[in-house]
Amino acid sequence: MYQTANLYLSPDMKMAEVVLNNPYLMLLLEHFGISAPLQEKTIREICDEHKLHPEVFLTFAHLYNGVDYKPAERFTYREVRSIINYLSNSHSYYLGEIYPNILKLIQEMFHDKSQPEQAMVEKFFNNYFDEVREHLNYENDTVFPYITKLYQKIEERGHVNLPETYSVADYQEHHDDIEEKLTDLTNLLVKYLPNNDEPQVRRKLLFTLFELDYDLTIHSKIEDQILIPLVQQMENYLSRKTT
Amino acid sequence: MNTHAYINILIVEPSSIIYEGLNRILSGGGLRLRVYRAENFDAIEQCILSKKINVAIVNPLYVQNNEKGFHSLRSGYPATSWVALVYAFFDQRLLSLFDGSISISDSPESVIQLVRQNASTENKETATEEVLSERETDVLKLLATGLTNKEIAEKLSISINTVITHRKNITQKTGIKSVSGLTIYAVVKKLVSLDYLSE
Repeated sequence: MYQTANLYLSPDMKMAEVVLNNPYLMLLLEHFGISAPLQEKTIREICDEHKLHPEVFLTFAHLYNGVDYKPAERFTYREVRSIINYLSNSHSYYLGEIYPNILKLIQEMFHDKSQPEQAMVEKFFNNYFDEVREHLNYENDTVFPYITKLYQKIEERGHVNLPETYSVADYQEHHDDIEEKLTDLTNLLVKYLPNNDEPQVRRKLLFTLFELDYDLTIHSKIEDQILIPLVQQMENYLSRKTT
Repeated sequence: MNTHAYINILIVEPSSIIYEGLNRILSGGGLRLRVYRAENFDAIEQCILSKKINVAIVNPLYVQNNEKGFHSLRSGYPATSWVALVYAFFDQRLLSLFDGSISISDSPESVIQLVRQNASTENKETATEEVLSERETDVLKLLATGLTNKEIAEKLSISINTVITHRKNITQKTGIKSVSGLTIYAVVKKLVSLDYLSE
């Protein structure tokens, strides 16, 4: 994982300075739908422009920097929209960009299919990609719309029908660990897969796997430690109101 | 990305200032870790049961009048290393019950170093050899052909628990956890052939 100078961030720092300290924050900005050039604007200014609570940005940015950070105030249900926006943009990045990239590199690395293990690696990855796609689509199609409905129900004080049987606890059960097979693939690539004529492709593949792992690790932290507790609070609030 | 999973650390410390400070130092040390906190003695065991704690950093206060409880905790969870977090006077004999100690005046580097050492002792014991043992190879071969733990146990006349232990060791040595990943490993290492797999 990318090692940064563990910069501790505050809302009045220049956004550009923060990105220059850790270029992966460019990906974070992208997931929030914020694009460069960043000019001389501060974190607070850019967040205000995008209707993003600065504490949400700071909490995520510290995750990217590997610094433990407790937000100054608890997130309210209003922040759930930015969080879902972030998560679904990262899903598009996984499904539309990085997984297809990895698949392309694997095919490039193993264009000679005479060795049995090469076809196996491609099959391994394809199966894994299917699992990931299923998991992400489940979140896109079931979990996020459910949370959006919860939000609307709180905002509009009623009038929205929730699926009666669903709760975020179901989501937790469904939440598989998609990082495991990624680690397997990385280990195979670095330690065991036989030599071929494409050392550059192997290196590119390795870098891409690390980039994915880096983002995925943060992604699951956000889901487990921030999104799920927040949604539970929203569920509790609504059930208190109805009883 | 590490070949091994996270180092799980449990801090058992009443002071939030000390806890947060230690947490910050550990998080900034470049280790892939998760930090948990327990605020009383009983919570330690609950935490070890639910997470696999590699290193428990404990204020000896909690052990002082409960040495017996601490002994049984230690023997019950031999995979966990126990480190004392010292910033008041404690009897040397009490501190000798731990695997090591951190003093409040230690530098961040030496704290990280100590945690790193204590987190890796378990790996050293079980995975010094790179190569799989004969029995582990047997288990891996059967696993690659699609047998379940139970079927492997029956075939090799060993218990399911032994199969699980072998599998843990295989994963620790190779860094590969999934059956499909291990199958590729077995083919690369020519432990099984593809004809054998399709049988």
